Amino acid sequence: MVRLLRKYFPFLLILIAGLSVVWAVNLGTLPPAEFVFNNGTEVKTIDPAKATGVPEGRVINALYEGLLRSVPDGDPDELGRTPTKPKAVAMADSYQVSEDGTVYTFHIRENAKWSNGDSVTAEDFAWSWMRFLHPETASEYNYQLFYAKNGSKFALVDLDEGDPVEIEMKDRPVTGQMFPRGTVRRGKLVSLIRPAPDREHAGDDSHGHGGGGISGPAIFVVEFRQGEEISTAAFTIQDIDNPEIQTLVSSYQGEFDLTGLISVEHVLFDFEHVGIKANSPHEFEVTLNSPTPYFPELVAFYPLHPVHRGNLEEHGDREFSKPGKIVSNGPFLLKERRIRDRLRLVKNDTYWNAENVHLNSVDVLAIQSETTSLNMYLNGQLDWDTKPPNTLIPLLKERDDFVSTPFLACYFYRVNTSKPPLDNPLVRKALNMAIDKQTIVDSVVKGGQVPARSFVPPGMNGYQSAYCGQYDVEQAKRLLAAAGYPNGQGLPTIEILYNTADSHRDIAEVIQQDWKKNLGVDVTLRNLEWGTFLDTLRIGDYMVSRSGWIGDYADPNTFLDMFVTDGPNNQTKWSSAFYDDGIEKAKYESDPLKRMAIFKEMEQTLMDEQPIIPIYFYVSLNMVNTRIKGFTANLQDVHPLHLLSIDSEGSED
Amino acid sequence: MQVLTFLLKRFGWMIVTVWIVFTVSFFLMRQIPGGPFNGERVLSEAVRARLEARYNLDAPISEQYFTHLWNTVQLDFGPSFKMQDFTVNEVLAQGFPVSAALGILGMVFAISIGMTSGIVSAVRRNSAYDYSFMLLATLGIAIPNFVLAALLIVVFVFNLQMFPAAGWGDISQIILPAFCLGAPFAGYIARLTRTGMLEVLGNDYIRTAYAKGLSPRTVVLKHGLRGALLPVVSYLGPAIAGILTGSLVLERIFVIPGMGSHFIEAAIQRDYTLAMGALLTYTVLLFVMNTLVDLAYSIIDPRVQLE
Amino acid sequence: MSISDHQASELERLTKILREAHDVQGVSLWADGWKRLKRNRAAMTSLWILGVIVTLALLTPMLPLQSPIFQDVKNRELLPPQWDSFSLDIQAYDRETTDLEKQSSAAQGRDKEEYTRLVSLIAAREQTHPIKLYWNNPGTLVTWMIQLRMAIFGDYCIPSIFGTDKLGRDVLSRVFWGSRVSLACGFIATFVSLIIGVSYGAISGYLGGRVDNIMMRIVDVFYSIPFIFIVIFIMSFLSSPGIREPLQENGIEQIHVFFLLIGAIYWLTMARVVRGQVISLKNDQFIEAAKTIGATRMQIVFRHLVPNVMGIVIVYLTLTIPAVIRFEAFLSFLGMGVNAPDISWGLLVNEGVQVITVVKSYWWMIAFSGMALAMTLFALNFLGDGVRDALDPKLKNK
Repeated sequence: MVRLLRKYFPFLLILIAGLSVVWAVNLGTLPPAEFVFNNGTEVKTIDPAKATGVPEGRVINALYEGLLRSVPDGDPDELGRTPTKPKAVAMADSYQVSEDGTVYTFHIRENAKWSNGDSVTAEDFAWSWMRFLHPETASEYNYQLFYAKNGSKFALVDLDEGDPVEIEMKDRPVTGQMFPRGTVRRGKLVSLIRPAPDREHAGDDSHGHGGGGISGPAIFVVEFRQGEEISTAAFTIQDIDNPEIQTLVSSYQGEFDLTGLISVEHVLFDFEHVGIKANSPHEFEVTLNSPTPYFPELVAFYPLHPVHRGNLEEHGDREFSKPGKIVSNGPFLLKERRIRDRLRLVKNDTYWNAENVHLNSVDVLAIQSETTSLNMYLNGQLDWDTKPPNTLIPLLKERDDFVSTPFLACYFYRVNTSKPPLDNPLVRKALNMAIDKQTIVDSVVKGGQVPARSFVPPGMNGYQSAYCGQYDVEQAKRLLAAAGYPNGQGLPTIEILYNTADSHRDIAEVIQQDWKKNLGVDVTLRNLEWGTFLDTLRIGDYMVSRSGWIGDYADPNTFLDMFVTDGPNNQTKWSSAFYDDGIEKAKYESDPLKRMAIFKEMEQTLMDEQPIIPIYFYVSLNMVNTRIKGFTANLQDVHPLHLLSIDSEGSED
Repeated sequence: MQVLTFLLKRFGWMIVTVWIVFTVSFFLMRQIPGGPFNGERVLSEAVRARLEARYNLDAPISEQYFTHLWNTVQLDFGPSFKMQDFTVNEVLAQGFPVSAALGILGMVFAISIGMTSGIVSAVRRNSAYDYSFMLLATLGIAIPNFVLAALLIVVFVFNLQMFPAAGWGDISQIILPAFCLGAPFAGYIARLTRTGMLEVLGNDYIRTAYAKGLSPRTVVLKHGLRGALLPVVSYLGPAIAGILTGSLVLERIFVIPGMGSHFIEAAIQRDYTLAMGALLTYTVLLFVMNTLVDLAYSIIDPRVQLE
Repeated sequence: MSISDHQASELERLTKILREAHDVQGVSLWADGWKRLKRNRAAMTSLWILGVIVTLALLTPMLPLQSPIFQDVKNRELLPPQWDSFSLDIQAYDRETTDLEKQSSAAQGRDKEEYTRLVSLIAAREQTHPIKLYWNNPGTLVTWMIQLRMAIFGDYCIPSIFGTDKLGRDVLSRVFWGSRVSLACGFIATFVSLIIGVSYGAISGYLGGRVDNIMMRIVDVFYSIPFIFIVIFIMSFLSSPGIREPLQENGIEQIHVFFLLIGAIYWLTMARVVRGQVISLKNDQFIEAAKTIGATRMQIVFRHLVPNVMGIVIVYLTLTIPAVIRFEAFLSFLGMGVNAPDISWGLLVNEGVQVITVVKSYWWMIAFSGMALAMTLFALNFLGDGVRDALDPKLKNK
């Protein structure tokens, strides 16, 4: 045997090699799609409730559809930008707002269908929004629905005695899967028993997005009413034999009987008392805490897109979105998903407006390298490149397939106001004035970006931005001297933190040199990958950090409410009671003019105190094949795939 | 029987190695601050706690270690932290065939180009062919494959427009990266083949074969090649390890969704479970391939004893 | 008497033999190797090239190069290779400062206000001296070399014959400064691997028996660990917050750990080879002799055995250095090695790859750094082959 093998070994080797080559070459070839674009990165998830990024948004908006849709609408402004508006051209065919602006009623269109043929109903939305808010879903965007009445109480488990509660028993039909939920009992919380020192904490009703919630051991005594009959029972979300719970029970001296303590999955604020309700299969009602002029924009935002309950309950949180399993209601269906390669979307024939969807198949690529992506676009492998490299923009600008326009986003530096010498506003102002933003815009990013002298980008309806001063080296030097550091003497080394990316590094290096040259400040750079970067920012372990913010909706509030004291996205340790009050006041101000005036005053405060240094306002940069029609430059850089079509008359290349 | 004990022994060592790699990487990754749950927005403590509970990150580290170890033994690497829609097994299952295809093709390139030029060099010893092939071989060995890749992209993609710039899913997309991957090993193999052939061709029995009146072609191919095969096969072990490493950078340049891309991204994004799953897979792969090479070696060379 | 006579003559004879043996051995191995190496034209050319590269790398701060880090995005972004002259502005700056100093000494005593103003101005100019802008925190030696350069060449700079990069920095100068990191990595890491590998191999081989068995088993296990992947882990681990700061406080830069780490994974082959040699040598008579005169085990290993395996060690060194340099480039290319503002060839190649496109290829960004890297590796490979042939003919062409 062995001798035979020995004799023919070379031939065997050749045979194996040949077979493997055939196998390798045949591996997974796909027929080309009609439209191919680069999404910039692998999408983290296509679950609307859990996604956060722009690339995810592009895919989710194609697969799912919310009540409203932000679409380019109206006449282009002087820069050729079409405004985007949330319109009832989606699951809802119309909506009404109550007189006081707090109750929204959406009418879901009769022909709205899921891809498996089921009708899309108000109940689907109520359930999906419940899931979106549910603490176990841990949606990072859930504060978008804190505007709904009691929404934050539900999401943050912010319970007080007397609140209606829902209790989910530990009898989930499928283990390890959140839905279908276990039996839900509804009652009234009559007593919340917690260890003494924490009690005060629980009473501290933090309204922000960050705090709240009941952590640590707790026993909930709940009263149930059935007709005339009233009963109480005690629940905990810890294990019964948890020592802390045991101590809590044994040291309890109150009026309630804790002997029948039951361990349950969740004790939450009763969702039936949250302002999200299905009045009928086609009528969906949302009650808000206060009039929120930009609420329709939020409703159109992809986290609030519905998911199919049956689909999710059958396959669970992770599996439901797999090709072959997913049930969706958008213009496209997910056909195939290859990790870090592509998503293949095909037209959804059950979509209510299917006749106006022109693309039959779309490939969504996940190429991270800007250069590679551009090369592929120029080689005809891509129809749309979302991120051409800065270096080449001057050359690309000349081409007629280059679509670029300013949009609602700001590139800025956060300054940690708790770290000396940056705790001194004069130093922060000096740093701001010593940056040659014009050069950064002209020579580094080059896309026609605008140097930022304020934080809120221009283009907000009826809003005039504040002002933080020009590039002025002499004034910067004076400010620094006034702060006690003449010519930068005695100033410690400043560190700029940025998340790893070539363009961020380039900008940081230019600013490093500006500060060194103009102020005599030593600057070091430090880069971190995105995940670590965010954590570092959150714990405040930085001095100056690169940041960017894209407006979620066209209102100054999306930029300005970040910097309220201890706001989750403040991260600069900056705090101003005056500012907090102003932002809060603007929430309840119904006169648009007055509201904008408040915002302007607040932004000026921000610019005077300078916990942030605005660098420039972004422009959208797209390379789009000229045979593609329906691609409009707009304020939010959204380009819904279902509006695109291929001009067969146009050139193939 | 001998083969069986050999395999069993190897298996035992593999378990030890994998366990060491597992333990080291487990504790290293847990040292790294910066949990897996970072979005653009800050999570509230309650939400963070829930997420950590879901991924069993709140348990004491020793407990985490043993749970994780037990799951790994069952070949369950758990969910990927960063790609929420996938488990690590799914990611690896998707990436592995891609990398394998690339690696195999690279290897085939390396062996076929390497051996052909090696044979030609040996037969035409000290000719212009010999010198130029050996120069090319040293070049192939010396130049890092990413420099080579950049060069070839400029020539074949931009100037000649023969291949697409990057991507995966088409035959034309695999040739360039596979060539870059195989090039350094083609260089080594060419040199090994040449030396091996020269040694054999200098032996007495070759002279006898010629004397018997066998044609030079038969002599070269039948006897010479056999002599060259030994060093080449023994080199396959390190070559496979090199192919695995090389694919890290080439997959990145050519945007190929293989194991290498997944591993690098996982390490960068601190996707604990995925990085560890890939690392363990690489370890096992390396072990298995080396064992196969040893087996092959014992088949073609009767003097070699398996141990 | 006769016995001692006999002893004396015996001693004399032995001393003579020893001396002869010493002379013969001392000459043969190295001289012979060198003679053979000198006959190898490719290896000698490589040696010369490497000599030049290393010398240039060492002397980089003294060469009239532009600043490797100073940017001028506005005017000098991505300029193609050119001969337009370029000079620094340090001398003019210094002249102004000297003028001010003169003024201040003139003002001293006469006009106190003016004097203090001038003194603070001079101090401020010290603070913003262009040297601080043009070089990244130079150490004492490098500062001294830069001063020497200023004394010799003044403000003159070699024009940007390699072009400039996207922030307007001179590529020529960056390639030179990058060579320092790349080569340093090659030599330091190889040195680390040398220390670990030789000690490990020698100890294992000399002690033999069970210890040897265990030590070699460990090496076997390490062999099958994909270290390169683990290094990638560790590099991302080291740059994490909470890990980086404590290291830095103790004066440990990431790059140092990086050198050590690479060295620590290249010692395995060395250990094996040294062990094999030691085993074949350890029963030789000169070891017996050392034992009889009471040398300790460690003395025997490091004073008698190790010097005798140096030949093969050098052969492996010449093979390890290019491997290490290539590995550093590989990691830096992936963004896991050296970090800005440090420059290495791998990083430069990566920057070059970022800008080769269909629209316009900024070929100078990749051509020169790639060529420098390839040429060095090429020469090291040839030299390695030559040294191996020269010192260990048995290994020829393996």
